[in-house]
Parts: sequence; structure tokens; C-alpha cells
Amino acid sequence: MRSSLRLELVAALAVGLLLAAVPMLIPGNITLLNLGILTFLYVAQGVAWNILGGFAGYVSFGYAAFFGLGAYTTALLWLAGWSPVLTYPIGGLVAAAFSLLVGAPTLRLVGPYFSIATIGVGEAMRILMLNLDKITGGASGLNLPTVVPSKTWFYFVALICAATSYAVAAWIRTSRFGLGLTALRLDLEAAESLGVRTTLFKNLAHIVSAALVGACGGVYATYLQYVHPDTVFSFTLSISLVLIALIGGLGTVWGPVLGAVVFFVVQDYLQTSYPTFHLLVYGLLLLVIILFEPGGMAGLAGRLVARRRGASAGPPAADPAPHAEHERAPMPRADAERPGTERTT
Amino acid sequence: MTTALTLDRITKRFGGLAALQEVTVQIASGDITGLIGPNGAGKTTLFSIIAGKTRPTVGRVLCFGHDVTGWSAHAVCRLGVCTTHQVVRPFGDLTVLENVRVGASFGASGRLGGRTAEEEAGEILTFVGLAHRRDSLASALTLAQRKRLEIARALATRPAVLLLDEVLAGLTPAEIQQAVELVRQIRARGITIVMIEHVMRAVMDLSDRVLVLNYGRLIADGSPAVVANSPQVIEAYLGEKISES
Ligand SMILES: Nc1ncnc2c1ncn2[C@@H]1O[C@H](COP(=O)(O)OP(=O)(O)O)[C@@H](O)[C@H]1O
Ligand SMILES: [Mg+2]
Repeated sequence: MRSSLRLELVAALAVGLLLAAVPMLIPGNITLLNLGILTFLYVAQGVAWNILGGFAGYVSFGYAAFFGLGAYTTALLWLAGWSPVLTYPIGGLVAAAFSLLVGAPTLRLVGPYFSIATIGVGEAMRILMLNLDKITGGASGLNLPTVVPSKTWFYFVALICAATSYAVAAWIRTSRFGLGLTALRLDLEAAESLGVRTTLFKNLAHIVSAALVGACGGVYATYLQYVHPDTVFSFTLSISLVLIALIGGLGTVWGPVLGAVVFFVVQDYLQTSYPTFHLLVYGLLLLVIILFEPGGMAGLAGRLVARRRGASAGPPAADPAPHAEHERAPMPRADAERPGTERTT
Repeated sequence: MTTALTLDRITKRFGGLAALQEVTVQIASGDITGLIGPNGAGKTTLFSIIAGKTRPTVGRVLCFGHDVTGWSAHAVCRLGVCTTHQVVRPFGDLTVLENVRVGASFGASGRLGGRTAEEEAGEILTFVGLAHRRDSLASALTLAQRKRLEIARALATRPAVLLLDEVLAGLTPAEIQQAVELVRQIRARGITIVMIEHVMRAVMDLSDRVLVLNYGRLIADGSPAVVANSPQVIEAYLGEKISES
């Protein structure tokens, strides 16, 4: 039963090592390194976002706030002479602290209301940061030291970010904590009555994923050597994380990894070919996924595997869902009113 | 004889409606207590108040001497009082085993890790007779099986007190017989049981003591025989002789 999980971890490790070898195998390819850095940062954030959005089912449209806080914390500390390696975790901590501040009141709301609240928080942060120009540079942003580590160094740091997010998400998925998140996503009241501290768990999931995204913000800031409220606190970034998780598959560990890669490729293409339409295309993409494959790529893959197994192993009824937990990617809270439960007085 | 639960002048109002009025009762450890009454009498509301899902407007709830009034549901569960839901609410997307693992991993059993929780969940499924469906999705179960799952999940939290809300409703006579047997076995494990039930023969058979609620008031309290012949109870049930229904 656990073998599919072990296989997944071994595969992840192999891919990670292969990616780590790329700078040695193909030396001096700056384009490739840049591509890698940005993709890894998207992977790290998509996987992190999914801890709250996918596992617990609380879809947030406000994660740019964590990214931006991490970016600015790192930027300011770097300007003050700190080493970037130290500033990334501190950026993560600041983002985590802010997530607790935001989450404590908003995570008490039911799903859709939480989502709406996060849009407000994200935008409020952006506008606040634009106006705090003494600290953030306001509308002109902040230029950071130009003496930066090499592209290869950033490549490894970004890869470590992605690997850390993956490891944290994979651990949560198999832990008691992850079971609690799944339970509260499926039925908050039932989970609560079985002893799950739902409010605590939601906040922990929020904090952990915010910290990971905050650290990514720091890496991004040092990599670009420039921070601006409109980029690091942008609503588009928040939406991107939701899209990555949706494309890949909510509630799975590796779904958002694929989602980030696909998203990045699509974004690159769209922004160069149809710069004015790319938001519209995202909207359509979102619609198509929700309508036709709510489980994202992971859901699609799961179904294909199930079909292959069904074809080779006779009637599928024998074993309806072999270790289904890791192959399903339900939409958050879509099952609040589940059919099939009887009504009595 | 020790007291498991004490309800002290519990009153609950929903706007103008008084769902419960001044309900005072003590539940003895180890007993099976039946809670009956017409629809809308306030039975489920009383369970919700004990379980921490709803706060009483007035009054206190004590569990094993702890005043748990105003505690949240998870805290009450971890203290050892677990409720099943009248409208069953399995985690439909999880397997039967995973459903029970939630109870075993949390609840009063503390922090059972992956393996231990899974073993414990497996044992409980065998105990309630659902072992053959452990890997099915909970949404694929029949109603009788869902009710068993509801009980299994609650048992997995290792409760000292189990509150069963109409676990026999909607079952066939044969299934009722099996469920009654299951309730007996649960009591044999030393678990105190309070059960809301409309299937009179079953409550009267199982209970050491029967409480009757009507319009939010406790109108009778005693042994099954005494309660079944109480004029007030017969009147509440519009004259049906309840021991025969
Ligand atoms: N959340 C609620 N809001 C308003 N009224 C409620 C609520 N819950 C229960 N009631 C009312 O309280 C009364 C008792 O309900 P309930 O405890 O479910 O009865 P029983 O379980 O005995 O059939 C009913 O009149 C019901 O309509
Ligand atoms: Mg009821």
C-alpha cells in the first residue's frame, strides 16, 4: 500500500539529483540556468501553496503578500549588510508571522469567504507597501547590491527551495497532521468531533506554506537585485500559484511540480506571443480545468493508470481505489453537501 | 457508582424557540441510557451541547468532574466523549480504513502514529464487522455500513462515553438486530453509552435507564418498564403504547 509512495519519493530524488547535475553536464548555459531558477521557484511556491489550498482546501488568493514580505525582508537585510543565506529564512519567518496574523481571523471563515478575504489582504499589502516609500522605495522600488553570487549559485539555491517544499509537503501528506488536514477539508465538523484541532491545523498549514513562499521571495529579490511593490506583491503572482496547483492537481504532492513547469512554459509563450491576452487565457484555462478535470494533471494521470490497471486486471470493481489518498485530487470543499447521505429529522 | 456526565439546568433557545428547558440529569458510568422523545423534542440538541458543538444558553455540562461548558468539540472528544451524527457524515473520499484512522490518530487515544493508528483502526473494523470493506471508499457503503462506520470512527477515538444518535434509524429488522448486538458489545468494553433512538423495542431492551424529552423538557426518567407505563410519556406519544411500537 505504501509502495506507490516510496516509488514517488525515489523518483523525486532521482529527478532532483539529475537537475542538480545539469550545471555540470551542460556548463555555461545561462539561459538554461535562468529558466531553471524561475521554474524551481514556481515549483517551490506551488507545492507550498498546495499545503493549505490543496490539502486543507482553503484556497488563498493572497500569497503574494508572503512572497513580497520575504522579498522585502531579504532586500532590506541585504542592504544592511547581511549574508543572503541568512536572510532567506528570516524572510520566511516574517512571512510566517504575517500569515498567523492574517489566518487567525480569516481561517475561521468557510472556504469561499476565506478566499475572498485573502484577495483583500493581498491587495491591501501591495497598496500599503507602495505608500511606505521611506522603507520600500515606493513606486520606484529598491535597487539591491550589484555584487551578487553567480547564476549557478542561484540555480542551486532555487533547487534547494523546490526540494525543501517538496520534502515538507510529502512529509505532511503522510503524517498525522496531513490526515487531519484531509479530514477537515472533507468535513470540518466531523473532523472536529473526532478530536482534530481544526483551527490549529489550518493555521499551521498556512504558516508552513507562507514561510516557504516567503523564503522564495527572498531568493527572487537577490536574484533580480531589485524589488518593487507592484511585482513582488502582485495579484498576478497570487493567481499564478492557484493556477499551478489547479493545473497540476490539488491535494497531491507532485501535481503542483508538473503544474509549475507547464505554467511556466505556457506563460513564457503567452507573454511573448499574446502579451495582452494572457490573463484571458488563464481564465479560460481555469474554467476548462474546473469543468473537465478538477483533479488536474495528477487526476488525469490517476484515471489513466486506473484504466490501464482495470484493463489488465479484469473487472475494476475488485479494488475500487488502491491507495486512493495519493491519487485523488478533489476540489476543495466541493463536497460540503454530499449526495448519498440520508436525510432524517 | 461514578458519574460520567452531569447536565446542570441546561436551557437552549434558538431565537424564540426553547429547544431545551432546564434539563438536569446525571449519567452513571457504565450504563446504557436511552434518550427518547418525539421529533423536535431537543434530543440531538442535547447531544450537540454535551459534545461542544453548541453552547447552552444557560446551564453547565460536566464530564468526569470537568466543567466542559463552552469547550470546543475537539477538546470534549479528546477528554473522552464522542458523538455519532444522526445524519451520517463519513469522509466519502477516504477509504473505510482511513476514516477510522482519523478517529484513532486523534481523539482521546492521543497521538497515535501512522502504523499504530492503522493497526488500531483495523482492529476496530473487525470489531464492528466492517473488515471486509476496509479498502472501499466510504461513499460506496450501504446505509447500514455507514452507520457502522460512524460508530467505528467514534470508537477509534477511545471514548469513555459514547453518544449514539439514531444509529438504528433506516435499518432493516435484521440489521437492527446486529446493531443492537454491537451496542451490547461496546458496553461490555466498559464504555458508557447514551443513545437516542426511535426503535422502541431496541431502546427498551438495551437501556438500563430511559430519559424522555418532550418539547425540551425532561418528562420521565427511570427504568424502561416504569417509563413505558408513565401516563405522561404515553400522552407525549399520542397514546401509542410505546413498548409495542
Ligand atoms: N441550529 C438550529 N437553529 C434553530 N433551530 C434549531 C436548530 N437546531 C435544532 N433546532 C430546533 O430545535 C428543536 C429540537 O431539535 P432537535 O434537537 O434536532 O430534535 P430531536 O433530535 O429531538 O428530533 C427543533 O424544533 C429544531 O427545529
Ligand atoms: Mg434528532
